[in-house]
Amino acid sequence: MRNIGTIFRREFAAYFNSPIAYIFIIVFLVLNCGLFMTPFFLQGQADMRDFFGNLPLFLIFFIPALTMRLWAEDKRSGTFELLMTLPMRASEVMLGKYFAAAAFYLVALAGTLTVPLMVGLLGDPDGGMIASGYIGAALLGALYMSVGIFCSGLLRDQISAFILGMVACFLFFLLGIPAVAATIDGWFSGFGSFLQNAIGLLPHYQSMIRGVISLGDVTYFLALTVAFLALNTIWLEGRKY
Amino acid sequence: MIEVRDVTKRFGTTVALNSVSFRLDQGEILGFLGPNGAGKSTAMKIITTFLAPDEGTVTVDGVDVLEQPLAVRGRIGYLPESVPLYVDMNVQEYLEFVGRARGLEGARLKTRFDWCVQACGLVTELKRPINELSKGFRQRTGLAQALIHDPDILILDEPTSGLDPLQILGIRDLIRSLASQKSIIFSTHILQEVPPVTDRVIIINEGRIVADGKIAELTRQAFGADSQFERDLEAAAAALARGHAAEAVAMQKARLALEDTFIALTKQGGRGKGVGLHA
Ligand SMILES: Nc1ncnc2c1ncn2[C@@H]1O[C@H](COP(=O)(O)OP(=O)(O)OP(=O)(O)O)[C@@H](O)[C@H]1O
Ligand SMILES: [Mg+2]
Repeated sequence: MRNIGTIFRREFAAYFNSPIAYIFIIVFLVLNCGLFMTPFFLQGQADMRDFFGNLPLFLIFFIPALTMRLWAEDKRSGTFELLMTLPMRASEVMLGKYFAAAAFYLVALAGTLTVPLMVGLLGDPDGGMIASGYIGAALLGALYMSVGIFCSGLLRDQISAFILGMVACFLFFLLGIPAVAATIDGWFSGFGSFLQNAIGLLPHYQSMIRGVISLGDVTYFLALTVAFLALNTIWLEGRKY
Repeated sequence: MIEVRDVTKRFGTTVALNSVSFRLDQGEILGFLGPNGAGKSTAMKIITTFLAPDEGTVTVDGVDVLEQPLAVRGRIGYLPESVPLYVDMNVQEYLEFVGRARGLEGARLKTRFDWCVQACGLVTELKRPINELSKGFRQRTGLAQALIHDPDILILDEPTSGLDPLQILGIRDLIRSLASQKSIIFSTHILQEVPPVTDRVIIINEGRIVADGKIAELTRQAFGADSQFERDLEAAAAALARGHAAEAVAMQKARLALEDTFIALTKQGGRGKGVGLHA
């Protein structure tokens, strides 16, 4: 725990030591809230479904930008050798880094809380549905980030890690789209729908933004997140040989 | 104490280390010499558990590097070849981070931090962002990082690279002053700086140890009994200071003996007929 905390503090500070952090947060807020505002005023809906509905696509770009540096930067600068010779487990270093990225994402997400406040002032929104949407957004980010940190561990170049992370996250997004599932079903009967539910994230995410939190959906996100973090650790341990 | 037994390490088809064995006792300093690509850094990475050997075993104070890597890492201070610095931190933040990551806190961290900053001459640079440091100060920050937890074993990969002559003398004195309680391995390409620090050297070439022993013995074995290498640079400097210029020149010649030994043992075709191995 102490070790994770030490790494976490360094990595979290590293985000704010560079201008990237501030640019990231501003762009994230402007794009998300801005794109949300338009339908909000045009259609006068007092809910946040559009906001949450946009997130899976948005985060495909934002999260890999956040996670690309986590290992690639250390490998480039040589600090990787320092980290891997500290008296702590590779999994502890990994979790410290992962939680730092997660905390940063949550800070950005917290910035969007202005939206429900405004919605609350102008209309009469369903508070439970918004809360469930935020839980979905956090779980979605957790999955993308674990895919992202895994991709960063494979490479020593940040831009490559960014592109690989984007492609990987996009795959999870794509497989959940009904039209894509139907197409795959056309080639291999039943396989597309199987992938849609087992791998694709949209079916699980969309029920959350509709206000339904089921154990199955939460398990889907947590299981895949843990799986990629475990793969990341295995890769780090196996690198020595 | 470090014991390396029959270690082999391959990278694809490159054999970086080929059945390397040696032993280093507490209080000993070992100079690690060899041409570029000889395998010095690879050997150090294996001892520090960064890499695993393909064959053979390495133990540090009796602890196997593969079985209990964390216990081994706790005992070692390591300065890698490419100095591992976080350029977005300043010197103080960086050293405190490494200290905490190595389990120090509170008063103990403060004491060790102050000692390292003093010993490595970093007092003036504490608040400087690392990306603004000169090469020499980066090197010293890397060295301070390796010393922060007062380890029993120091592995220093080219610790004096990029330092000015005065700093080299400082680091040399520092290494010597630490020697009594620690085991130290350092690699270098500057042969002249070896004799003042230690007389035990290992010369490694193309992944094999071609010489292991006291400099004087190695030179004698390589060139016969008449070469002498007992006296060191400091003796020469002292002789010069006393006005015995002729004596100092003779010593300068003697010092070349290590260079000659090195070249004789590592040049093309010199492979295989190792010195000290069939002693
Ligand atoms: N990660 C790696 N992948 C592939 N080959 C490697 C790797 N690391 C080292 N090598 C190879 O292993 C051999 C030994 O390299 P090593 O870095 O140990 O040499 P060295 O003695 O430290 O050389 P130098 O004096 O230049 O630092 C070289 O042939 C090198 O190309
Ligand atoms: Mg080297």
